[in-house]
Formats: sequence, structure tokens, C-alpha cells
Amino acid sequence: MLDDTNLAETTVANDDIKIAARDVSVYYGDNQAIKGVDVDIADRTVTAFIGPSGCGKSTFLRCFNRMNDTIDICRVTGDIRLDGEDINAKSVDPVQLRAKVGMVFQKPNPFPKSIYDNVAYGPRIHGLAKSKADLDDIVEKSLRRGAIWDEVKDRLHAPGTGLSGGQQQRLCIARAVATEPEVLLMDEPCSALDPIATAQVEELIDELRQTYSVVIVTHSMQQAARVSQKTAFFHLGNLVEFGETTQIFTNPKDKLTESYITGRIG
Amino acid sequence: MDKQDQHIASVYDRDLEGIQAAIMKMGGKVEQAIHDAARALVKRDLELAETVRLRDKDIDQLDSEINEDVVRVIALRAPMGSDLRTVISVMKVSANLERVGDYAKNMAKRTMILADASPVEGTELALQRMTKEVENMLQQALDAYIRRDADLAQTVREMDEEVDQMYNALFREFLTHMMEDPRNISVCMHMHFMAKNIERMGDHVTSIAEQVIFLTTGEMPEDERPKADNTSTEGTLS
Ligand SMILES: Nc1ncnc2c1ncn2[C@@H]1O[C@H](COP(=O)(O)OP(=O)(O)OP(=O)(O)O)[C@@H](O)[C@H]1O
Ligand SMILES: [Mg+2]
Repeated sequence: MLDDTNLAETTVANDDIKIAARDVSVYYGDNQAIKGVDVDIADRTVTAFIGPSGCGKSTFLRCFNRMNDTIDICRVTGDIRLDGEDINAKSVDPVQLRAKVGMVFQKPNPFPKSIYDNVAYGPRIHGLAKSKADLDDIVEKSLRRGAIWDEVKDRLHAPGTGLSGGQQQRLCIARAVATEPEVLLMDEPCSALDPIATAQVEELIDELRQTYSVVIVTHSMQQAARVSQKTAFFHLGNLVEFGETTQIFTNPKDKLTESYITGRIG
Repeated sequence: MDKQDQHIASVYDRDLEGIQAAIMKMGGKVEQAIHDAARALVKRDLELAETVRLRDKDIDQLDSEINEDVVRVIALRAPMGSDLRTVISVMKVSANLERVGDYAKNMAKRTMILADASPVEGTELALQRMTKEVENMLQQALDAYIRRDADLAQTVREMDEEVDQMYNALFREFLTHMMEDPRNISVCMHMHFMAKNIERMGDHVTSIAEQVIFLTTGEMPEDERPKADNTSTEGTLS
């Protein structure tokens, strides 16, 4: 038998639902990008979203921390609850919500500030550090978790935008984990990373799962199979199949899922 | 073969088809080997026995080629879904066929040892009948594989009971012959090993049938495999 400790757990450890989405639709003007999707995101679980380009993965992911609010023509309907609370309620402050539901975007978007300030920004505005030393610790820990500490430790005050694409992506991961979010949304976090950095990010995802919920969008079937316990397959704005990752990749129930994961012309 | 849509990468389709064609080729050679092994025994045809022994190398060669191809496909394509089940089943089926081939070779070797011994009445034909049954199972298991026919595979699994019963009957017969005349012991021991080999062949073919069920349905059959070899539990030995 393989040593279990070397493998990501393949089953969901708990039934606690962190985010419950019901009948969620998203429109860009007249164009409907997400069509009445129901999904439960379990706590302390990695959920992967897979599907062809343009099927709505990023759009749906952005619903969870109301990033779609920032797009003028975008309209979201339906009900999304985080720990049972409606995230679209008037009383919810989107900035507070985004501290709880962090995000790593498909395209790296470091602030035009130093590497240090990129990471320190969140903890500062949310008052997570009691002192300068405290903040230094948070920055170092976060950069380590983002698998980029060794590359930037000697130039923490250089601009984040001066890093390479893959380094910027890891800086953004460090920034996202710095506020200790309860849910981390990652939109193709490894698409610009080399295999070593990819493995480090996957290691981080597995570590985060012990405490948080992670939702990851990925175009790599192997990555989805490696890191997640649950997988959702989207197609043309519909959630086609949602289940245990092992089942989706070895024995999908839907013909569309099968065609997609096996690389067939569906 | 598999009536699924084609892959976007057509080389991938050709790889998978190639591997499955190799399995069929191997299956054909194994069928021939068990057929000839039984025939060589009954006819005391030492030349044929020697051919069976030599041809086993081809079977082993095919097994290692299939394994190399499977490893390559896994490394290059990282198969998923039904493709993953295909390559896994190919690897297991190939291993099962290779074992069946070994048993046929072993029968051929014993046939050579028995060349000058006089046959123990009726038992050689009984062995041939048993072999015939396994050959039949193998044919149908390979058909089921090609056609992705889980029902036929289930039928094959059930046929194994027949083989087990034939083995039980032969086991008792050998025992009787050995008790009647100790001069029969040496021949009967060899014959008994052959019967046991054929019974084991049946088990390997059964596991091929189970792979077909896994391949088509995505799940291994859950019910306990029918078992009728009770020589190890019956009181016959005491
Ligand atoms: N800002 C926008 N304005 C208008 N339409 C948009 C916008 N963003 C996305 N869309 C449309 O919504 C649909 C879903 O896009 P989305 O970015 O969610 O897809 P995706 O599954 O993330 O694709 P990819 O894998 O390529 O990132 C697409 O048809 C896209 O054209
Ligand atoms: Mg996207």
C-alpha cells in the first residue's frame, strides 16, 4: 500500500457546508453566463471547478466574494450563504466579506507598491498586527506560504510589479493568505508557474485545507485530481456534474464530463 | 472497438487502440497455448509440447511490450475516466494472460516428463475437457472485452464454477488411483499439478472477466466470486 501521508486525502472529511449557493444566475448585460447553479462548498475541503474556457468558472467563483459587483454590466441573482448568512444582504460590507473570502486572480495583479506592502496591506487595514515585529512575522510567514520568500527576502522593498509573472502570482497568493481568510478562491493560480512552484502551491493548498475551504479553478485535470476532494464540472454556464473528485475522474456519470476529462470531441 | 467519440489528439486514439490490439493478439496466443498443451498431453506429442514451451517467450514478450506501452500512455497522456480504466484493465489483463501462458508451459513440461509413463485411464481426457472449458471461457472473456459486454463477462465468471467442479472430481479420482496402486503416484502427482494449473487458469480468466466489468461499469463486481474448489476444506485429505 502507498503511504497515505504522501497523498492528498481523497475523501471529504466533513459535511459542514461553508458556502451554499442556490439557483445562482449571472448575466453580463443580456448574456447569461451562469444558469441557475446550486452548489454546496464544504468546509475544510478543496473544491475544484473545471470546464472548457468560457464556461463561466471565473464568473461563478467571483460570486462568492462579490467581485462581480465591481463589473458594471454584471448582475447576479439567486441565493449565496456563507455560514448560513446571505452574502448579498445590504448589511454585508463587501470589503469585510473579501477579508473572509480571499481571492487569487487568474491574472496576477500586484498593487503598485513594494513587495512588503503588498502583503502587509490586508493585515494592516484589518488590524491583524499589534506591532511592527508582528507585521514582519505575518509578511514572512505569508511569503513562505506563497513559496516565494527565498526569492524576495533580500528585496522586500522593491516594487511587486518588478517581479516575473510567476513570482507575481505567488506574491498574490502570499497577499491572499496574509489575512487568514476562511475561504480562499483561486482562479488558475498555477497557470504561470513552473513545476516546482506549482508543487509548492499545491502543498500550500493542502495545508490550508486543514483549516479553511479552498475553491480552485484549474485547466489541469491532473492538478484538480491531485489537490481536490470535490470536483464540479461546468459547461456553457451549467453545472453538469458535481461529486467526489475520485469518482469524477475515474467514473464520471455524465457523458459531457467524460468527454471533457478524457480530451474527446464531445 | 470502443464506440466512443474520438480524442482531440488522434495519436492518443491510435495508442489506446494499439494496446488493445496487442491484448487481443496475446489472448489469441494464450488460447492456442492451452489448446496445444492439452493436445500434446493426450497425444503424447512431445514436439508440440516443446513448441508450447518455446512459444511462451512470445507471450512474455507481448506482456512486457504492453506494459511499456501502458507506462508511456500514462506518462504522456495522464488518462482519465474510461481511458484510465482502459489502461488499468489492459495492464491487469495482460498480467493474467501471462500467468495463463505460464501454466500452459508448465503443462507442456510435465507432458515431457510423462512421455514414457503409461496414462492413467480416463484422466487425460478429463484434463482435456477441463482445458476446453477454460479455453471457451477465455474466448468469451476476450469477446466480452472487445465488445465491452459486462453481461457476457458475468456469464464467464459463473462458468468458472464448472471448472472448479471438474477439478474437484479429478482430485478425487487421482486420490483413488494413488491409493489403489502406489506405482501410479508419480504419474498422478504430475497429472494433479496439471489439473491444478488448469483450475488456476480458470481463476485468471475469471479475473479478466472482472476487469471487463470494471472497464464497462466503472465498478468491480461486488458479489463474492463463485467458488467450488473445496478440496482444501473438505475432509478428503484426512
Ligand atoms: N467582464 C465581462 N463582460 C462581459 N462578458 C463577460 C465578462 N467576463 C466574462 N464574460 C463572459 O462570460 C462567460 C464566462 O466567462 P468566464 O470568464 O467566467 O469563463 P471561464 O470559465 O473562467 O473561462 P477561462 O477558462 O477561459 O478563464 C464568457 O462567455 C465570457 O465571454
Ligand atoms: Mg476564468
